Amino acid sequence: MSSATLYSVSYALAALILNVIGFIIPPIRAPITNVDVVTVLAVLIFGALLLAASMLNTILLIWWERKLLGRFMDRRGAMHVGFAGLLQNFADGFKLFRKNTFQPAEADTLGFYSGPTAYMVTSMILFGILPISSGWNSGSLPLSLLLALAIFSFAPLFIFVSAWSSNNKYSLMGGMRSAAQMIAYEVPILLAVVSVVILSGSFSLTTIVYEQQNYWFWGPLVVALIVFVAAMLAEMERIPFDLPEAEAELVEGWNTEYGGMLFAFFMLADYLRALVGSILVVLLFLGGWTLPTWVPSAATSFPLAGILWFMLKTYLVFGLFVWVRASLPRVRTDQLLRVGWNRMIPLALLSVFLAAALVTVRCVPVFGCVPSAGA
Amino acid sequence: MTEAKTSDGENAADNPILYVARPMATAARQFAKSLRRPSTIVYPYERLEDPRFRDQVAVEPGRPIGVGQVWDNYRGVHALNIATCISCNLCAFSCPDICIEMVTVPGDDPKHPKKCPQIDYGKCSYCGFCSDACPEGCLTMTTRYELSTPHRAEMVYSPQKLNEVFRSKLPMNPIRLELPENEDRILLDPPLCIGCNACARDCPTQCITMLDVPRPDAKPGEKLPKRIWKEPVVNDSDCVRCGTCISVCPKECLFWGSRP
Repeated sequence: MSSATLYSVSYALAALILNVIGFIIPPIRAPITNVDVVTVLAVLIFGALLLAASMLNTILLIWWERKLLGRFMDRRGAMHVGFAGLLQNFADGFKLFRKNTFQPAEADTLGFYSGPTAYMVTSMILFGILPISSGWNSGSLPLSLLLALAIFSFAPLFIFVSAWSSNNKYSLMGGMRSAAQMIAYEVPILLAVVSVVILSGSFSLTTIVYEQQNYWFWGPLVVALIVFVAAMLAEMERIPFDLPEAEAELVEGWNTEYGGMLFAFFMLADYLRALVGSILVVLLFLGGWTLPTWVPSAATSFPLAGILWFMLKTYLVFGLFVWVRASLPRVRTDQLLRVGWNRMIPLALLSVFLAAALVTVRCVPVFGCVPSAGA
Repeated sequence: MTEAKTSDGENAADNPILYVARPMATAARQFAKSLRRPSTIVYPYERLEDPRFRDQVAVEPGRPIGVGQVWDNYRGVHALNIATCISCNLCAFSCPDICIEMVTVPGDDPKHPKKCPQIDYGKCSYCGFCSDACPEGCLTMTTRYELSTPHRAEMVYSPQKLNEVFRSKLPMNPIRLELPENEDRILLDPPLCIGCNACARDCPTQCITMLDVPRPDAKPGEKLPKRIWKEPVVNDSDCVRCGTCISVCPKECLFWGSRP
């Protein structure tokens, strides 16, 4: 594990920048290299680094999906711009950025513009909460899992506001369906998370990761993992649960009226949420940035090893989402609700009971003993 | 909620193993297969006619069709050999889209400028009639198919540009050297001829010679037609049956026919 943390890196960057400025302009060197000034700048750089990392990963995630989906469909993904099409999504983003934003007649201006913005901003806030590696987070909040899920579930509100203020009845219907779907699948997500919380005895994501030192939680909680992944697919409105959006049939559903940068906001926020979903799966079930104990320590001792293994796991989990997308057809609304209420919630409850039983027994035959089965 | 499984996916949600695992296994198989090489050919960098794809990419099970091989009757951009073009106008005459125009090319003889076909690919339908009609085999069609351009004027290929296509030695239709199979020849209706030399002047292969004809003696009271006492004679082995002489004849005394 490296000793550098995100804050120490940004503090060093801030000190470097201010010292260089002070070297160029000697009279202001003393005031600007004050500890308070450096700290303020370090916090700003901290946020900028987080923002840049999240945006970069989001765009890379789109590239990853395009390439994977291409192979699933016996073709190649983007190939032309950059090496293996790596820069294609940047080009697409610049194209959307240059476009005029078009507001429909009699659309509500406040809602029309604030909806997508808030949707994306709330998705980006999540990256300030999720720990990437040991030390690479914005502080270990004791209830970070709860906070992350609370912010994650803001989305239906903003989708509904954007759809309603578009002054298009079909957008409104799509927004209603989207909000209904997201709210319906909050329940199995929370129940699946409850079993993890019972097993680890903590709401802090960092603690949950360190509780998985002996064994990863997907082993005993495989039912919860399945429920979590399926419900997360519905939360992200990805195939096979993408019926509010239904690209081909419904012309993007609730964001029909959005173009240009506002559409890019929705697109980015969707993939930000997909990234957050993958990260949550890794943190809750796949041991986060840690590796199993039987792995030789050389694999985790080099600098930034935690981040490397974490991103690798995240992209593989997102590859699972793409695999599902490439395989399964879209479900109907009644099937969606039946799966949600008749299958997901009972399975999640079963998993909660399983976790409670594990904590009571304190030892699992195959996986060893629960490390600190408190709670 | 019925217990019976239906095959049309009615109860897809009730059979998770059947309706989730099986398609995912299929997709995984496809993924593993295309990891080595997908069926697509990265077109601007790779080409379908590249022989190295002949065994790699099977479009259909069995023999690959169109991959790694070029058919010799492919009809793409024309190749024009200006050196052997005889300016017979047959290509422009046979073009159903009227996309061929005979334009002057700067030749060595300024007095007798050579005319060669200029093709407008915005109109061309690649029927191949022109290269079929070409008596000298100098206008053929190649395998080049890349014609996209942002400007409409660039769709018009000048004879020089077509000659460059010829020089690039692309695979092209086999040049047909034998003469047309019809036995039609140029025949003359002697009483109408005025001996004006237009046919011999315009014949692209110089196969018409004007020979003297005996001037008949005028009987009393009869007025001889005012003409030059020469008549065209066509050398059939050199004639390419282009019909230029027929179209330039001012008295319409030349016609197609078969000599016994």
